[in-house]
Amino acid sequence: MEFKVRSYRFNPEVDTQAYYKEYAIQDFPGMTVLNALMKIKYELDGTLSFRRSCRSAICGSCAMKINGITKLACKTQVKPEIMKFGIVNVEPLANMPVVRDLIVDQEGFFDTIKAIKPYLLTEGENEELSGFKTLKEGEKIKQPVYSREQFKNLTGNNDTPNCILCECCYSECNGVSGNKKYLGPAALAKLYRYSEDPRDNDRDVSRLLNGSKPDGMWDCVHCQACEEFCPKGISPVKAIVRLHEKTIKNSITSTPGAKHVVSIAQSIKKTGKLDEAKVALGTAGIAGVIRDLPVVISAALKGKMPPLKLEPIKNMDDVKLAYKELGLEEK
Amino acid sequence: MIRYAYYPGCVAQESGKELDNATRFVAKKLNIDLIPMPEASCCGGGALDGFDKNLKLFINGRTLALAEKMGVDILTICNTCTLTLSEVNEELINNSESLDKTNEYLSKIGLRYSGKVKIKHLLYVVRDEIGFDALKKMVVKNLNGINIAPFYGCHILRPSTVVKFDDVESPTGFEELIMALGGEPVSYANRTKCCGFQTILVDRAQSSYLSGSAILEAKGKKADVMVTPCPLCHLSLDMYQSAAGKSVNEKLSMPVMHLPQLIGIALGANFAEMGFSRHNVSLKPLSERIGI
Ligand code: FES
Repeated sequence: MEFKVRSYRFNPEVDTQAYYKEYAIQDFPGMTVLNALMKIKYELDGTLSFRRSCRSAICGSCAMKINGITKLACKTQVKPEIMKFGIVNVEPLANMPVVRDLIVDQEGFFDTIKAIKPYLLTEGENEELSGFKTLKEGEKIKQPVYSREQFKNLTGNNDTPNCILCECCYSECNGVSGNKKYLGPAALAKLYRYSEDPRDNDRDVSRLLNGSKPDGMWDCVHCQACEEFCPKGISPVKAIVRLHEKTIKNSITSTPGAKHVVSIAQSIKKTGKLDEAKVALGTAGIAGVIRDLPVVISAALKGKMPPLKLEPIKNMDDVKLAYKELGLEEK
Repeated sequence: MIRYAYYPGCVAQESGKELDNATRFVAKKLNIDLIPMPEASCCGGGALDGFDKNLKLFINGRTLALAEKMGVDILTICNTCTLTLSEVNEELINNSESLDKTNEYLSKIGLRYSGKVKIKHLLYVVRDEIGFDALKKMVVKNLNGINIAPFYGCHILRPSTVVKFDDVESPTGFEELIMALGGEPVSYANRTKCCGFQTILVDRAQSSYLSGSAILEAKGKKADVMVTPCPLCHLSLDMYQSAAGKSVNEKLSMPVMHLPQLIGIALGANFAEMGFSRHNVSLKPLSERIGI
């Protein structure tokens, strides 16, 4: 079958603006989008630029937008794309500046990874176990012993250690689209992974405080795109929500994001419902309500103001019991 | 008659009352029996999970058990309720440990859940139970010539392992519905993107940029109106539209309808019945053009 690849092209040395170029090529059974791009590069147009290395969905180099969705080119077969979209449209990753054609500048992404300290914090801890020294005659190496159970939150087939840093989630993340400084799914999932590592010596919850800063974990918009489009089956958003839970359980609740969550939980505990007025006040405070006065007035004029006092749902005690059973009455 | 346990969610019973009213209007026309659930609680959206994972299971497990006791599936009209209930349902069906501890709580309030309930959003109830061909025959006010931009939002599509209604890469249900009503679906990339509601009180700049980009793109594609299946998206797109406009340096005045309102007017509802006067961006000019 002959099919068309339509590629985004941009070379800052000669082009004033980006354009698309089409290539007609012949497929072969099992052909991947990366195979197609390599065929174009070797046989039709040597100037087409893209990253790749392993060709087996391990190195994470070949991520790009394929028919509008970020995927690994080496893991994406041509045939289903053609059947669904009639063409293979390739574009560089979103949320990152383009260097040339399908190659993006990854610096901003790796800055987010560096920002969460992607290594075990051990400094100054237990000299005997972590310091360097020469063993004496007959002395055995002392190593800490961990149980499998202690790692249960950071292992498993669909978990964060499987991340190959391909940036698919970062490219699809709506939170990053809205705020380029947001840490994003890959970094935050990694932050959660380190916060759960029993070997990590983070005694003063510095990781959770770090993640609670503006542009951190509370900027997740819950769009679920990171989970949907991760080529390794990881769910960064689930890790971020666990990070939220852990942060609140550690009483780091002074941020608007944490206040929002706590207000909703309190509202349900009281009436079984989400009290829109109280949650807005609890999250943004009086200052927030004043800032939004035009919206509040407009809503009031349209009869859209939520009731100031909500009637509880029927059998409200049943809901209260859930809080009690989980020891959350006082939270 | 098709019967469902009706779970409107909180916003449709508070600031978004017009959505609840429009849903009841449409259900009556389509012969869908909406059985009220006065005992059902808020699903907690994405927030309750971040407060306590088990609380999310218990609270929503209770809602699922109530529907199971009624012997019916749940009909939703909010994307986030749809996802949250579906997530808990998947967890309870696939994880016996979660099911056991939830049932231990439920047994204390005289309930039990065995995993029989399905959660369906109105959009896909209309597609699967009524059928777009049948719907087409019921249209009394053809929306011919109206450019309608469907705004799916997130939680009716993603994660597709949990909400399995449509093709997550290129969904078609919403467009097919619009065509059945005689309207012109507008094609634009932001239709499956986030409205920014989650951080509207947390990071306004981020939130407004997302809603602003979506409205701006729809406007650029000549949309007369945007339609959403989610009251949270509606708040973001309609109520906060001036902030959205500012964030993309554009004065926006894009009317935004709730999905059942669009079906409602096609099935003969008038301006008042759909509660259009409650919207922030006026629906008057469009209503006059349609002739309602
Ligand atoms: S080339 Fe390594 S992941 Fe595709």
